[in-house]
Amino acid sequence: MPIRALNRALAARLDAIAAWAAGWWRVFHFGATALVVACSPSAYDRATSNLMARQVYFTALQILPGFALVCALLSYVVIRIVILAAGSYGLADYALNIVVRVLVLELIPMFVALFVALRSGAAINTEVALMHIRGDLEALQRAGADPMRHELVPRVVGSAVSVFGLTVIGSSLALVIAYLAMYGFSPGGIDDFTEAVGAIFSLAVTLGLWLKAVFFGLAVAILPITASLEVPREMRYAPIAVLNGMVRLFLALALIEGASLAFKYI
Amino acid sequence: MEELPKSAQIPPEAIQAETTTSAPIPYLQFKVALLLALTLVLSVAFVGYVLYARGVFETTQSVVLVSDDSEGISVGMPVTFAGFAIGRVQRIELGDDAKVRIRVTVSQRDAHWLRVSSVFTIEKALVGGTRIRAFTGVLSDPPLPDGAVRPVLRGDATDELPKLVSTMKALLENLQSMTSADSNLQASLGHVNTVTGRMAGRSGVLGAVLGGDENARKVFGALDRANKLLDSLGGVSARLDQTLAKTDERVFGKDGVMDETQQSIRQLNAVLGDVRESLKKADAVLADAQKIGANARAATDDLATLRAEVEASLRKVSALIAEINRKWPFARDTELKLP
Repeated sequence: MPIRALNRALAARLDAIAAWAAGWWRVFHFGATALVVACSPSAYDRATSNLMARQVYFTALQILPGFALVCALLSYVVIRIVILAAGSYGLADYALNIVVRVLVLELIPMFVALFVALRSGAAINTEVALMHIRGDLEALQRAGADPMRHELVPRVVGSAVSVFGLTVIGSSLALVIAYLAMYGFSPGGIDDFTEAVGAIFSLAVTLGLWLKAVFFGLAVAILPITASLEVPREMRYAPIAVLNGMVRLFLALALIEGASLAFKYI
Repeated sequence: MEELPKSAQIPPEAIQAETTTSAPIPYLQFKVALLLALTLVLSVAFVGYVLYARGVFETTQSVVLVSDDSEGISVGMPVTFAGFAIGRVQRIELGDDAKVRIRVTVSQRDAHWLRVSSVFTIEKALVGGTRIRAFTGVLSDPPLPDGAVRPVLRGDATDELPKLVSTMKALLENLQSMTSADSNLQASLGHVNTVTGRMAGRSGVLGAVLGGDENARKVFGALDRANKLLDSLGGVSARLDQTLAKTDERVFGKDGVMDETQQSIRQLNAVLGDVRESLKKADAVLADAQKIGANARAATDDLATLRAEVEASLRKVSALIAEINRKWPFARDTELKLP
């Protein structure tokens, strides 16, 4: 009797692990398929580009003023803290280095990814889950339209472009604010600033930042969509799809950030 | 949020028309294109700026710095001149001679700060990273050629630290043993204290030097006695003066020794005259004796008498001379010339 219970427990655990692995496998499979579709020019017609534009509009453009403001405030606070702390330890020379590394390389991309994940990622998750549960995607397929191409890939590409764009804008803003906080409005610090930026952004670091932004953007759409598509087609599973998608997304963002840090500093 | 009703409510067959026509967003494509353009421009500008900052667009020349140790040196770290970054470490390699070769690229714009007499140092501070610095004393020297190999001096604060700490420790130990209660210094200071205490006492410095009032009193007594002795010596010398005066008077004064001596000499002269007379007589007698010749026997008796007289005279003379000599040790005219 206990052996059977143990067997059952073991089987349940194995099933859970298998389901977990299968879930991640579906993530990578869907991600790869979406990338292949996104990279084929034939995928873009007027309808898909319009949907993509809408996705970019809702994800990035709509929030751009508020995002810029929050980003500027956050940057300014962090920069002031770092400059004051570094100055009080006699390390003012390193303040700019620390600011750029902390803000531009780590905080801003992570901030953008979390912002977009909580806002648009959750929306995409719910929307695709409802479409999946209602059978909209199958209806599309029956009508001869590829749901991947017409509904899902535009969202993935739109999210990725939005995250990338927001990261670029936020990082540029942070660099400008860092300069202003360090040197004020005088152009006298340009040489020092250029020197510090040149010292930090080696090829590996720049490529790493670019890759991180791209992966963050892809994760923000791919993980919620995959989680939405794998739930049973019943309305009560919609919250579970959103929950799964958000948890996985958070995990994935943490993993990408951790991998980026490990790649850079270990 | 806004997207939710859009896809959820549309009939599947109208999906394409839906996405294109139901958009209530004015200038959607234009706005999105604007965002994409902004992103693209910022990205390109950033990449361009980073490339510029890393000196990709400048012509550079290289300097090879040779060091014993590459600790703290990393690729990309700046080389500063007067606090300004003029170059960057491009690569670090270990040469065949076990020396570290640090290849530094210096932008052509800043290369004129480096001259053949420039000195390069690697400084490792206690806080903060290692710095490579260049110093140029004579800016009129010829410029450093491209690819020049220069030794680099290491100034490492942390290297010196253990030595400094051990020296400080020894110093502090010495200081401690010097200032401890049973140290020589303390004992010396105690002695100084005792001595100055004695100096302040009744006998003053003398008491301090001699080690006590008792000894000082003895010295005072000795001084007193010496004073008395000097007084009596003064008396003695006065008496001595008197004695000398008297002696002078006795010797050189009237009726003194000298006068008597002169009288004695005069007497001596007279005696010598007598002696000469006697000898003349003797001479005459001898001549008579020769003349007599044959009557020798009788004459011989006279001769013996005469001879005894002469001898007596001579003895008197000699006694007189001895007396003179005894009376005064002047040797003047003491020689007697016998004929």
